[in-house]
Amino acid sequence: MKTGYHALVKRLLDGELTLAELPPELRAEGEEALRLVGAADRAPVALSPALDERVMAAVRRHAGAPANRVWRWLNTPRDVELRLRVRPWTVWAGGLAAAAALALLLGRAAPAPQPGPGTQARAGTRDSVLVRFVLYAPGARRVAVAGTFNQWDRTIAPLVPAGTSGVWTTTLALPVGQHQYAFVVDGARWIVDPAAPAVDDGFGRRNSVVAVSAPGGHTL
Amino acid sequence: MRTTGLTVGLVLATLFAGGLAAQDVPLRLDGRVSPEVQRAVRRIAADAAARDLPVDPLVQKAIEGAAKGVPAERVIAAVRALAARLGEAREAVRDAGVAAPSGHLVEGGADALNAGLSGRQVADLVRASQPPYDAALTLQVAATLAALGVPTGQAFQLVQGMISAGRSPSDLLGLPGQVQAGVARGATPAQAAAGLARAAGGAPPGRLPDWVPPGQRKPRNPHKP
Repeated sequence: MKTGYHALVKRLLDGELTLAELPPELRAEGEEALRLVGAADRAPVALSPALDERVMAAVRRHAGAPANRVWRWLNTPRDVELRLRVRPWTVWAGGLAAAAALALLLGRAAPAPQPGPGTQARAGTRDSVLVRFVLYAPGARRVAVAGTFNQWDRTIAPLVPAGTSGVWTTTLALPVGQHQYAFVVDGARWIVDPAAPAVDDGFGRRNSVVAVSAPGGHTL
Repeated sequence: MRTTGLTVGLVLATLFAGGLAAQDVPLRLDGRVSPEVQRAVRRIAADAAARDLPVDPLVQKAIEGAAKGVPAERVIAAVRALAARLGEAREAVRDAGVAAPSGHLVEGGADALNAGLSGRQVADLVRASQPPYDAALTLQVAATLAALGVPTGQAFQLVQGMISAGRSPSDLLGLPGQVQAGVARGATPAQAAAGLARAAGGAPPGRLPDWVPPGQRKPRNPHKP
């Protein structure tokens, strides 16, 4: 079956042309199109009068259900007259209170990292992503990772040795954003991640940088 | 009477809400830094809070220095320098039309200034970072690129170019890692950044060549009525 007709055949179907007005080479196509449309273009179906009755009876049953009556009562708009007798200063006080409450709420909504271990600072906290930290430190007795995401606490994010190969690893959930960190070897030696970019830490040393993208994000 | 009490309470709470962060400083520093650093940082933080600057980065820097065993006077100097940069960054961000910048944004501006970007470049990047871009992250990315050795002008142009090309925020965040990877392959930071800038010039993956970033007008199709 054809999926598209010649423009003149379409005009034939639209009733703008007759079959006789088509060029001879398009007549076969026009006849086929008319045959297909004719097969689909059947006479209107006459519905039984009893069908109307059955449909309306079902609608009345549905409308008469108690739950529907309650819902209609709750949902029907009504005129309500409310009269208030107030002193002007109470209106102003109420307005001020509402404004103050709004200001407080907005103030709380601003990103303000709170104190305490495990605080995730420096990042938009829209989402958290699991990030794996790996360090090759043969001979180390213990390794931890400390950074802006855990208040530089060198005790709360230890790495565990992966077998006896000298590779230490851990996985942390970090918020989307950019974080600075360093590895702490044996509780005292701070070293940057050789696999990550590093920036000046302000003390004459370096911090590694990890960029955490939202899940599904892609890079160039 | 009850209404009045509530009103007064809420108004007072609003007035003091801005000072809460500064009051938290001793609590956060307690046991983490030496008494000498704590005293100095409390003073610096109180001054910063009075100037409406974020206090959290100062506390973080003090804690970081102490955790790393940095001498007290060096920690105090670093915190003081950071407070000054936060002040400059706040001005740059305000120049971009952000009247009341968040602490996070000011901190991003301070990172960028610290990396060598100018106040004007900071303001331009803030202006360019309309949603879905987070201006603070944009600034941090530019700062990291510069810290990696990408010339500041080039870092600024690369980030700005990525935004105007409509690259995703994730693409932006991935830039420092991409530069790092380029350097690991033997390129200079400038060469690696130039390669990324060229790649950013085309349409993002999966888009038609005539794709334009959201919010920009597509060229009129002359064949369409």
